[in-house]
Amino acid sequence: MNRKRPELLFAVSQISGLLILFFIMYPIINIVFWTKPGIILEALKDKEVMDSIFLSIGTATLATVISFLFGVPFAYFLARREFKGKSLVESIVDIPVVIPHTVAGVCLLTVLSPRCWFGQMLAKMGIELLGTITAIVVAMTFVSMPFLINAAKEAFQWVSPRMENVSRTLGASHIKTFFYITFSLSWRDILTGMILTWARAISEFGAIIILAYHPMIAPTLIFERFTSYGMMYAVPVTVILIFICLLIFVLLRLVASGVGNRRAI
Amino acid sequence: MIQIRDLYLCLDKFYLDGVNLTINSGDFFVFLGPTGSGKTVLLESIAGLKPVQGGKVIINGEDVTDKKPEERNITICYQDCALFPHMSVKDNIKYGLRFKKDKNNSKYRQNFDLLVGLLKIEHILDRYPLYLSGGEKQRVALARALIVGPDILLLDEPLAALDVGIKEKIEVELKKLHQALKTTTVMVTHDFREAYYLANRVGIIKNGKLIKTGLIEEVFQKPGSLFVAKFVGIKNLFQKEKLQGKAGFESVGQLLPDGDYLGVRPEHIVISNVEPLTEHVFKGVISQTKNHGVFLELDIACQGVFIKSFLTPNRYGELDLFDGKNIFIGFNSKQVCVVSEQ
Repeated sequence: MNRKRPELLFAVSQISGLLILFFIMYPIINIVFWTKPGIILEALKDKEVMDSIFLSIGTATLATVISFLFGVPFAYFLARREFKGKSLVESIVDIPVVIPHTVAGVCLLTVLSPRCWFGQMLAKMGIELLGTITAIVVAMTFVSMPFLINAAKEAFQWVSPRMENVSRTLGASHIKTFFYITFSLSWRDILTGMILTWARAISEFGAIIILAYHPMIAPTLIFERFTSYGMMYAVPVTVILIFICLLIFVLLRLVASGVGNRRAI
Repeated sequence: MIQIRDLYLCLDKFYLDGVNLTINSGDFFVFLGPTGSGKTVLLESIAGLKPVQGGKVIINGEDVTDKKPEERNITICYQDCALFPHMSVKDNIKYGLRFKKDKNNSKYRQNFDLLVGLLKIEHILDRYPLYLSGGEKQRVALARALIVGPDILLLDEPLAALDVGIKEKIEVELKKLHQALKTTTVMVTHDFREAYYLANRVGIIKNGKLIKTGLIEEVFQKPGSLFVAKFVGIKNLFQKEKLQGKAGFESVGQLLPDGDYLGVRPEHIVISNVEPLTEHVFKGVISQTKNHGVFLELDIACQGVFIKSFLTPNRYGELDLFDGKNIFIGFNSKQVCVVSEQ
């Protein structure tokens, strides 16, 4: 028997992996060569482009923070408590992931428009959501929050409740136990969930154009330039957005994976 | 002192029902029971980790039933140790001190030095739990639970996951710790040998009910019920009706005044090639021998009654025993207990 001959299953796996990597990376790399550095530099000086990119980053970050503040406590509850209808609750949390994004946008529109009691109530309070930054954040939070809740829930489930029990008997209150033990052990996975949430939020387009075409986030601007002026005007904005997103993504992944600091886990 | 009064706790399909118990200060009390009998739940309800629906838990005269776990001064060690993986051994041990108002008190420093010395863990203080052996983890967990000076130490099968050699070492260390610190200790286990070595008092749990408590020797010698007898290792249990009409067993049957079964521990059965000087003597044939390494378990057939006996390998060799050999067996009346069905 030839010991050096690779096993068939691994060979198939490797070929599949190479095809997938090519499928993901080729369009991203290819788009860079569709344009010229000079045009990208020009786009960087375009106020409309930079405003839309910063708006995308800002709203996605805000949606992630909101998801964190509300999602982490809820995820802890789901991870630690058994109750009737828990599966139903978990399924409800996942609904924004499975419905088409334009559908999510239309659903949100029915609630926020003045035809709904909630929209009317907001209007009476002088709060106008449609066509505002708030609407963008609402849409982003709606579609991205499940990623954070599910990541945090899995992270909390990994922490043995017995560690929490020990901590409690050693004198730590429930809240101190949460921060000293549970959160300390799961923050990296929660951060990974936040990255996914942020990535999902910044890539949202379908729900946002229904709630707030203006002010324009980067995907809306790319869509508008593509439909109005064609590829040559859409590509530079696309390239800038890809670079900024990848930069933030890589930095956060490095923190989440804990470069050289995972000896304890 | 721990006083448990009419404790009731319902968890899904399982419940603890009407548990009444007093554990004296300084006792090493062991709850014995099969898996799923409710030992751990009882332990956690004493610690306040499982809220009870009825009854009271009184610690040193104070009703702590409604107190939170962090207010009870009761610590717990689990079978899996539950060490905090993101902290070094030293930080694990000192974790409880963060929440002490008098954390700078020199007594904690002394406790730390004493426990680290007694448990021989000086060399691993800077390591992380990931790099510890099972025995080392259990020692660290014990030190962490004891450094805060608890009124009560709860141990949830602390030896169950350890290799035999390490288990015996930790058993000895647990005994030494208890003798040195006199901390009231409550342990759960399903291994009666552990209980016999460590405990001075024992409670037997079956299906969420405490069915027997007493001094360890008392429960082992006079288990009372068939379930307890089987659980504490009494392997020879004879029903009076089944002994009737069997030659030689009449004298044994007379020992059953009001019980349904008669029990004799296998280690109390004498085996000999000649008639032994015991009160009850029978002739039998070795039908099966199981070699457990450190001892041999013999099944001896006596007129259709099977009797189990334990022998050391040396004794087995001296008597030149083998399956099918005719031998004498015997035991004395004082080594016999009467066991009821319930």
